[in-house]
Amino acid sequence: MSERLAVNLPGLTMKNPIMPASGCFGFGREFSELYDLSLLGAIAIKGTTGEQRFGNNTPRVAESPSGMLNSIGLQNPGAKSVRDNELPFLEQFDVPILANVSGSSPEEYVNVVKTLNDASNVGAFEVNISCPNVKTGGIQFGTDPEQAAMLTSLIKEATNKPVYVKLSPNVTDITAIAKAVERAGADGLSLINTLIGMRFDWRTKKPILANEKGGLSGPAIKPVALRMVYDVRQVTDLPIIGMGGIESAKDVIEFLIAGADAVAVGTANFTNPFACLEIIDELPTWLDQLNASQVSELQRRGVVL
Amino acid sequence: MKSVPLKVVRNQEIAEETYEMTLSGELVQEMNRPGTFLHIKIPGSHHVLRRPISIASVNQELGTCTLVYKCTGEGTRALTNVRPNDCLQVLGPLGGQGFPTEEPSTDQEVTLIGGGVGVPPIYFAARRLSERNIPFRVILGFQNEAAVFYEEAFKQLQATDVTIMTDDGSYGEKGTVIDAFLKHDQPSSYIYTCGPRGMLKAVKAAAHPDTRVYVSLEEHMGCGIGACFACVCKTEDETSYVKICTDGPVFQSNEVLL
Ligand SMILES: Cc1cc2nc3c(=O)[nH]c(=O)nc-3n(C[C@H](O)[C@H](O)[C@H](O)COP(=O)(O)OP(=O)(O)OC[C@H]3O[C@@H](n4cnc5c(N)ncnc54)[C@H](O)[C@@H]3O)c2cc1C
Ligand SMILES: Cc1cc2nc3c(=O)[nH]c(=O)nc-3n(C[C@H](O)[C@H](O)[C@H](O)COP(=O)(O)O)c2cc1C
Ligand code: FES
Repeated sequence: MSERLAVNLPGLTMKNPIMPASGCFGFGREFSELYDLSLLGAIAIKGTTGEQRFGNNTPRVAESPSGMLNSIGLQNPGAKSVRDNELPFLEQFDVPILANVSGSSPEEYVNVVKTLNDASNVGAFEVNISCPNVKTGGIQFGTDPEQAAMLTSLIKEATNKPVYVKLSPNVTDITAIAKAVERAGADGLSLINTLIGMRFDWRTKKPILANEKGGLSGPAIKPVALRMVYDVRQVTDLPIIGMGGIESAKDVIEFLIAGADAVAVGTANFTNPFACLEIIDELPTWLDQLNASQVSELQRRGVVL
Repeated sequence: MKSVPLKVVRNQEIAEETYEMTLSGELVQEMNRPGTFLHIKIPGSHHVLRRPISIASVNQELGTCTLVYKCTGEGTRALTNVRPNDCLQVLGPLGGQGFPTEEPSTDQEVTLIGGGVGVPPIYFAARRLSERNIPFRVILGFQNEAAVFYEEAFKQLQATDVTIMTDDGSYGEKGTVIDAFLKHDQPSSYIYTCGPRGMLKAVKAAAHPDTRVYVSLEEHMGCGIGACFACVCKTEDETSYVKICTDGPVFQSNEVLL
């Protein structure tokens, strides 16, 4: 049965195609009190920057129908502390780590990658060129194909581990960015990050988020995410980690059909802290229904639709 | 901490737009610290975020806990439609630090100050203090007469004094909880307080320097368990942050920047 769900991606030998998405699972400590993290396919840890960051003012989250906005602002303890305190904690689990990397400058990204590079449980890097919640950095690398490519090649030079580039949906043509980072040497793609949105409090007439704008996630963005995975799959053979609104095993199947090789589950962890486990448990039944003996049989269908 | 269904026993309006809900289930056995809270999934598929609600009291013999919530938005509105025998998905009890009701000794006095829906965790603390025979006084603030709840309940716990303040003077005395607090010149050893941030700030400023002030903070939450960094609050020296969901929600007033 475990063989049925197994997925092999560059740097990530996964027991199943499910990983919690970056930022929705911290560094695993809290969820490890709820279940055994070794049951997961992989773990994408919270976006890590060169130095400790305190993030934005509160409120940092707001709700919208079937979705939420967040403007955490990349609060994290900084690369050295992640290397010395968080990654060693995760060593006790038999699960590969996808280290999510952020920065305000190319140098900062490279510095984070170098700092985390020697951690043995880091299987690959996920370069966040799409964080909508910090003023400098992140997003500008995600909206300009040339900058995205430049950053990708710099990071490729800094590490021997596979590099996944996490794409922003806040662009006119996501395939242009995908192609650019592929040419620059990316080993895989993650998509999508959150869509920039806003909510207002009708009583105060002010934005609900202290940061005014935030990133929309959850089931509300699922069709957008599926469309983008599908579009990107048409232009590249790179492995794709698909995400955006996944709540159930059925959603996972949809992402695989659209062209993803594995998936990440974000917001659903807040709605139901056992979401990842429940999805993993339900997947075999879905494979049965589709007459698939293995998850890998469902991968890459997107190209032949 | 667990994520389990709890059965609704009662869900009734007890003051204007304010509901008291009683839940039953095994999880209640784990609920024993005033100030801790439950992260409640709103029924239906619309709401991706749970709602944090304080535990207002528990009855271990009956295996029930009681919450009091104000209908302020869509999620709490949906909660008002829940009926007895329905089940709610509950994650909890959450919170790493509650009101330290074990600390005071019987020769000390505690002043409890609650504003609006900040009253429920204060009530749980009052029950604990009463069980331990610690003398306590209560000051509650509400918008108006229609919003007042639990006055009788506090009196039954043998509070030394229960003062009700309303903004418009339609019940009790007109004014704020601070007005009432300043009238009493005997400083108590402890203050436990919960309510709007402005009120907590004013309580902190008005308290005697020797009084240990404990405040319960609110913030919009994502995970409720410390993983998402949604619910942070700056420390008083502004060099660091605490997470309200796991480091609190109750803090000593000099730990956090109010
Ligand atoms: C630790 C803690 C204990 C609480 N205890 C109680 C209690 O005992 N009784 C009670 O009536 N209220 C309590 N609150 C406040 C309560 O959580 C909010 O009133 C409620 O979440 C609002 O949801 P809504 O559906 O009415 O509003 P909506 O506007 O639909 O909510 C949208 C989003 O914003 C969040 N939100 C909005 N206002 C608040 C707020 N003041 N605090 C936290 N999140 C908010 C919601 O949780 C939700 O994620 C507590 C809050 C915290 C943090
Ligand atoms: C609270 C929160 C924090 C996030 N933090 C990060 C982050 O640090 N780095 C990152 O690449 N993506 C971050 N994301 C984006 C998610 O990883 C994911 O791409 C997005 O939420 C879509 O998936 P979902 O709909 O399943 O949540 C965050 C999302 C949320 C909701
Ligand atoms: S609500 Fe997620 S860290 Fe507190």
